Amino acid sequence: MKEILLSVKNVSYRYNDAEEDEYALRDVSFEFEKGKLYAIKGRSGSGKTTLLSLISGLERCSEGEIIFDNKSLKDINLDKYRSNDIGIVFQSYNLLPFMSASENIILSMDINGNKDKNKKEQAIKLMEKVGLKSSYANRRVLRLSGGEQQRVAIARSLSYNPKMIIADEPTGNLDKKTETEILEIFKKLAHEEDKCVIIVTHSENVCKMVDKVYDLDKKK
Amino acid sequence: MYILKNAWISIVRNKGRNILIGIIILIIASCATVTLAIKNTANDLIDSYVSAYDKEVTIGFDRSNMMKDLNMGDPTGREEVKERFNNIVNLSLDDVKKYADSDYISKYYYTYSIGLNGQSIEKAEVETNNFGRKDKVNTQTDFTLTGYSNIDAMSEFIEGTYVIEDITDNAWDIAFDGDYVFINSELASFNKLSLNDTITLVSEDSKTYEFKIIGIFKENEDSSEPNMSMFSNSVNTIVTNATSLVKITDANTNIKGDIHPTFIINDYNDVDKLQTEFYEKGLDENYILETNEEIANAGVSSVKNVNSFATTFLIITLIIGGVVLFVINMINIRERKYEIGVLRTIGVSKFKLTMQFVSELLIVALLSLLIGMGIGTLSSKGVSNSLLASEISNSQNKNDEINKNFGRGDHGNLGKGRGFAVVEAYDSIDAVVDMKVLVELLGVGLSLVLISSIASITSIQRFSPLTILKERS
Repeated sequence: MKEILLSVKNVSYRYNDAEEDEYALRDVSFEFEKGKLYAIKGRSGSGKTTLLSLISGLERCSEGEIIFDNKSLKDINLDKYRSNDIGIVFQSYNLLPFMSASENIILSMDINGNKDKNKKEQAIKLMEKVGLKSSYANRRVLRLSGGEQQRVAIARSLSYNPKMIIADEPTGNLDKKTETEILEIFKKLAHEEDKCVIIVTHSENVCKMVDKVYDLDKKK
Repeated sequence: MYILKNAWISIVRNKGRNILIGIIILIIASCATVTLAIKNTANDLIDSYVSAYDKEVTIGFDRSNMMKDLNMGDPTGREEVKERFNNIVNLSLDDVKKYADSDYISKYYYTYSIGLNGQSIEKAEVETNNFGRKDKVNTQTDFTLTGYSNIDAMSEFIEGTYVIEDITDNAWDIAFDGDYVFINSELASFNKLSLNDTITLVSEDSKTYEFKIIGIFKENEDSSEPNMSMFSNSVNTIVTNATSLVKITDANTNIKGDIHPTFIINDYNDVDKLQTEFYEKGLDENYILETNEEIANAGVSSVKNVNSFATTFLIITLIIGGVVLFVINMINIRERKYEIGVLRTIGVSKFKLTMQFVSELLIVALLSLLIGMGIGTLSSKGVSNSLLASEISNSQNKNDEINKNFGRGDHGNLGKGRGFAVVEAYDSIDAVVDMKVLVELLGVGLSLVLISSIASITSIQRFSPLTILKERS
């Protein structure tokens, strides 16, 4: 039985300084189920990143609404939403460079309100889950490769066990082999851990590996 | 809790910048401790010195009001001034009693003066070639009798201008009720008078009045106004009580009495209200109320100067320190924009992020404030005393210079009116860092931290995490 986790209903977005009919995103409606891996594709300027910002609560819709777990994003605390319910993975990783890999993950647990004493062990387990050696735990993230940093970013996004992972071009800076490995991780998270994973991409290779593709070019 | 943890991590990570901030706050805290200690101690000294003085109000002529709209260069103008002076109604004892009945006045006293000529004694004066003039040539009567209403009114004795040289045993028991007088020792010598002798004075209309001498005083050379006579200024002044003199003028309307009341008030700030009340009670508007506030403050002028220097220094230090801290914070925020973006993206609220940045500054500020307080406490006594010593020395040099200009040498004195000759009441401040200073310093420090944190607070509220991360990408 399909269980909708996120609905994007007739969403439009216009920048504050844009002309009246100049939309970055216009009348978009998508549905996302638990346990499935999605791709949102489109050319540059098609509004992919804008949609991701709206879904992750970093921006608010100009029109329409987004429903997460039967609640409109308009009615919930978006800081809590980002620190509890969804995990965000960026193309440029967005890790704090002055912290080690495990510190980045533990910080995310702290923000979530995790009071466990063994957070470091939990962080190391998460690192191992995304294919990183435990010996990397104390390594500054800047001393890790792009693929390794992206794995840390994924581990960070999983640190509070969110229902949904949103990834913005997560493999954009990575080689083919690493791209495939990272996509495998996302696939596992969707299919084995019942998470809803949404990947924003323009890569055809990514689109081939997901359960469903939404094409923003057709919506424009 | 993670906010404090993050704050501490950031402090350690940005050691250089935080040490710089710490040093700036340390300097501000040390200066603020010293200046606040000086200010508080100086204020206490000033309060205690000024409170030792009665807050006196006297009635004087309002010369500027009397000269208003008149041209003194013009004979008509001069005539008009003369007429205005003549038209002013002299104060009577009844007036003084009426004015004294006020909520602003705690007590009052007065001196009552009349002029009489000598009959059994001679006025002390000597023909000299000194500038071709006789002593006291302008005096209309031989003697001025000054009657005091009570012992509080005897300001010349209280201030030490007159000093008792000899006195009868019961003098102070009878001094304020009867025809008894104190005379100047020079007048006593001039007329070969001694205690318990009786003198006879005579009015212009030939009525005679007898007084018994119960005391002999002399004028203190140190505190008297300088003159060019061989006698002291008060040689022909006869001191008595106001009651006797009022009786004389009541009985003989040809003798005009001159009354000088002194009202003691609780607060100098009430003077304007008191003056309005006096006018409402009928005081001529050509009179004005004058206070002894300036004289009361004169003994602590150097302490006041040090106090005002300390205040100015404190304000400048706080402004410069605040601006520098603000700028450092702005740079800090610009450098940490990316960190703000990441933290906002992963769910840290604006409030918590603001708390983290303010906590970082607070931790550094508190450590620096503590050390600064210690340095300030150790140095406040030395700094305050050295400032006061330098201020007294400047004031003394000015005084010496003016005295030299008048040919009075290095140790001469120009008297109260000159302003520089008043001996300083304190030669040390010994500024103390007490609980009040510590609380004030903490208040100043925290305010400074909050004001300089405005940069962080506004930036955090304004920054869009997505924009920051896009810029970074």
